Amino acid sequence: MSRTDAAGSPESTSEMNIVTAVKETLGQEMRRDERVRLLGYDVGPIGGVYRATEGLHEEFGPERVIDTPLSENGILGTAVGMAMRGERVVVEIQFMGFFYPAFGQFMYTLTKMYERSGGQLEVPLTIRLPYSGGIKASEYHSESTETYLAHTPGVRVVCPSTPYETKGVLAASIRDPDPVIVMEPKSQYRSAREPVPEEEYTLSIDDARIVREGSDLTLLTWGAMVPHAGTAAERVDADVEIVDLRTLSPLDIETILESVRKTGRCVILHEARRTLGLGAELSALLNEYALDRLHAPVKRATGYDVHMPGHTIEEQYLPDAERAQYAIEAVMNYEF
Amino acid sequence: MSQWTERRPSEDFYRVLSPDGSIEGEPPDISAEEMVDLYRSIVRTRIFEDKALSLQRRGELSIAARSRGEEAVAIGSAAALEPDDWCFPSYRQTGALAHWEAPMDRAVAGLMGTEPETIDEHLPVEDPPEVNFTPTYVPLAVNVTNAVGSAMADRFNDRDTVTLSYIGDGSTSQGDFHEALNFAGVYDAPAVTVIQNNQWAISVPAHQQTASETYAQKGEAHGVPHERVDGNDVFAVYEKTREATERARAGEGPGLIECVTYRMVEHNTADEPSVYRNEEEQEYWAERDPLDRLETYLREEGHLNEETIEGIEEEASEDVNGAVRRAREVPTSDPERMFDHHLHTQSWTERHQRGELRAELEGRNPFTDFDGTGLAEKDSSRTDGIDGGEGR
Repeated sequence: MSRTDAAGSPESTSEMNIVTAVKETLGQEMRRDERVRLLGYDVGPIGGVYRATEGLHEEFGPERVIDTPLSENGILGTAVGMAMRGERVVVEIQFMGFFYPAFGQFMYTLTKMYERSGGQLEVPLTIRLPYSGGIKASEYHSESTETYLAHTPGVRVVCPSTPYETKGVLAASIRDPDPVIVMEPKSQYRSAREPVPEEEYTLSIDDARIVREGSDLTLLTWGAMVPHAGTAAERVDADVEIVDLRTLSPLDIETILESVRKTGRCVILHEARRTLGLGAELSALLNEYALDRLHAPVKRATGYDVHMPGHTIEEQYLPDAERAQYAIEAVMNYEF
Repeated sequence: MSQWTERRPSEDFYRVLSPDGSIEGEPPDISAEEMVDLYRSIVRTRIFEDKALSLQRRGELSIAARSRGEEAVAIGSAAALEPDDWCFPSYRQTGALAHWEAPMDRAVAGLMGTEPETIDEHLPVEDPPEVNFTPTYVPLAVNVTNAVGSAMADRFNDRDTVTLSYIGDGSTSQGDFHEALNFAGVYDAPAVTVIQNNQWAISVPAHQQTASETYAQKGEAHGVPHERVDGNDVFAVYEKTREATERARAGEGPGLIECVTYRMVEHNTADEPSVYRNEEEQEYWAERDPLDRLETYLREEGHLNEETIEGIEEEASEDVNGAVRRAREVPTSDPERMFDHHLHTQSWTERHQRGELRAELEGRNPFTDFDGTGLAEKDSSRTDGIDGGEGR
C-alpha cells in the first residue's frame, strides 16, 4: 500500500483541478519522452472538448498532438499500430459512451497483442476516457460502463479521483508498458481543486488508496463517488474507512480484504449499473475470502439497471452521499 | 454460373504474364534468380500448406487454411518489400512468410496450438526474416488499421520504412478496412494494403459482398491510389506493389492493390466448397493457376528445367518435413502458460489463479482458501512476464 509514492517539495505546488492536472501531466510527459503522442479528435488547436490538451498543439505541433478523423475504432486501431512500433500513444475518447465503436480493436488487438505475441510486442498505450454523469449532458455522454472494460484481461483500468491523484496516476499510466485506460471523472473536472506538486511524480497503479481510516465499516468506491463517500462518512454515526480503489483492473484485493477483515462491514458505492457492476465482483470476493469476518451482508449503493436517464431525472439515478448514507446505516443496524 | 462472381465480370486489370505463360507486357526489372525465387516460394508454400492439410486430417492440427491458387498475391507483394519494412499478415498469406524465409517449424508449432512462449523456448528464432512480421491475425480487417498506425509512426518519425497488410474480399465489408484507408489517406501514411480477392468469403460470392464494380475502387472514396491486377500473375502483383511501396517510401502516401485471384480449395478444413461452387468455375480457374504460367515462362526463358524444378520441390519437401519433425518435438505447453504475458506485473488475481490451476493439476483442492492468503503451497513466484511480481 502506498499513499504518496513520491512528491515534489511542498514549496513547488500549484492549485489545480482535474483538467489542469491532466494538461500539466500530458505536457510534462511529452517533454520527458518524445515518443509520447496524443491522438483524438479536437485535441489539436482547440485543446480538446474539455480543454485538457490546451496549448499542447502549439507547443508540440500536429505530429505529436494529432487531430484525427471522427472514428474511435480508427483512432484506437491506428494507435495500437503506433504503439506496436514503440510510440507511447495517449488517446482521448471524448466520452465513455463513445468508446463502443472501438470495441473491436479493444478486444482483438489492444488487450491481446502482448499475449498473442508471447510478450514480443508491447502496446504501451493510454486511453483517457472521461466518464460519469451529473453534468446534464445528452444521451451517451454520462455513463459508467467500466465493467465492459474490466472484464477483459490484458489491460489496466484505473480511475483517479482528485487532481493530485490524476497527475500521479496519469503519468504512471503513460510510462507503463501495458495498455491502461484512465477513467477521468468528468463531473469532478473543475469542482475539485487542490495544491498539486509542479515536479513530476507517479503514483502506484497497482494499489488502492485509503482516503480515511475507520473501524466500523469499509466504504469501497472510486472516481466521482469519492467526494460523496466523504460526505456520507461525515454524516453517519459510524467510523467509516473509505477505500478509493484507484485501480479497477486488476484490483488491489490485498488492501480491500485487509480493510474489510478489519471493519467487518462493507458498502460499495459506484455510479455504474448494479448488475455485474464492479460491486458484484467486490461483493463476491468478500463472500469468498472474508465471510467469517462480516457482521452484516455487503450492500451495493449503485445506479439502477437502466440506460442512463435524461438529465432532468439523472440526479435520481445517480448514487450520492444520501444513498451511501442509507446503505451505511442499514448495514450498521443489521444484526445476524 | 459465371466464372467471375463480381458485378462487373472483367479481366480489366493489369497483367504481365498470360495464363499460357506468354508475356503480355513488360516483365519486371528483376534478375532471373529473383524470378526463380518467386517460383520457389510458390512451390514451398504449396508443399507446406498441403502438409498442413494432411496433418489436420491426422488430427495434429485443429484447422488449416490453404492458399492454393492464390500464392502469387502474397508472394508477389511481399517480394516488393525491403529489409526493415513491416508486414501485418492475415491467415492466407503463408507465401509472404515463406518468401522472407520465416522459420517454418515455428509456424507448424503455432498451427499445432502451442503457446508462443513454448515455441520461443524450444524453437528460438536464430535467423529472423529481414522483414518484420507481426503475428498472423485471425480476426479480420483489424490488422489493416494497425498497419496504418505502424505506417503513421514511420511517417511521424521520418523513417523510410513501409508497412504492408492484407485483407480478403469479404473483409473489405468490415468497418476497420475503411477506417484504416481513411486514416492512411489523411496522414499520407506509407501503408500499402493488398486486397486478396479470391472471389469467395467462405460461401458468399463477391457479387453479394458489395455493389461496387471492383474492390480496388473502394480506395477512391478515401483518396488512396488504387490498382487492380491479375492476382495469379506474380509479376503483375510484384510490379504494382513495387510502384506503391516506392511511392510510399518517397513520402507520397498509401496505396491499395486489388489482386484478382481464386481460392482453388476450401476456405479451411471445416468448409465444404462443393455445396456452393461448380466444376465449370473451378476448371476455368485451374487453367489460370499462378504456378503453371510462371513455370512455363521460366522454362521457356531457360531459367528452369526439369532438374532444377525437381531440386526445388525436393528441397521444399525436405524443409517442410524437417520443420514438422522439429515442431512435433516441441512439448505440449505447460498449462500455466495460459497466464503469461497479460500484464507486465503479476496481480493478486493472477497469482491466486495460478495457484488454483497448479493445485487442480496436482490433484489438490483449489477452493480451500477462505481468507485470501492463498493456498497452502506458497510457491507463487513463478512468472514469465518481464517484471512479474513487482510492487508486491
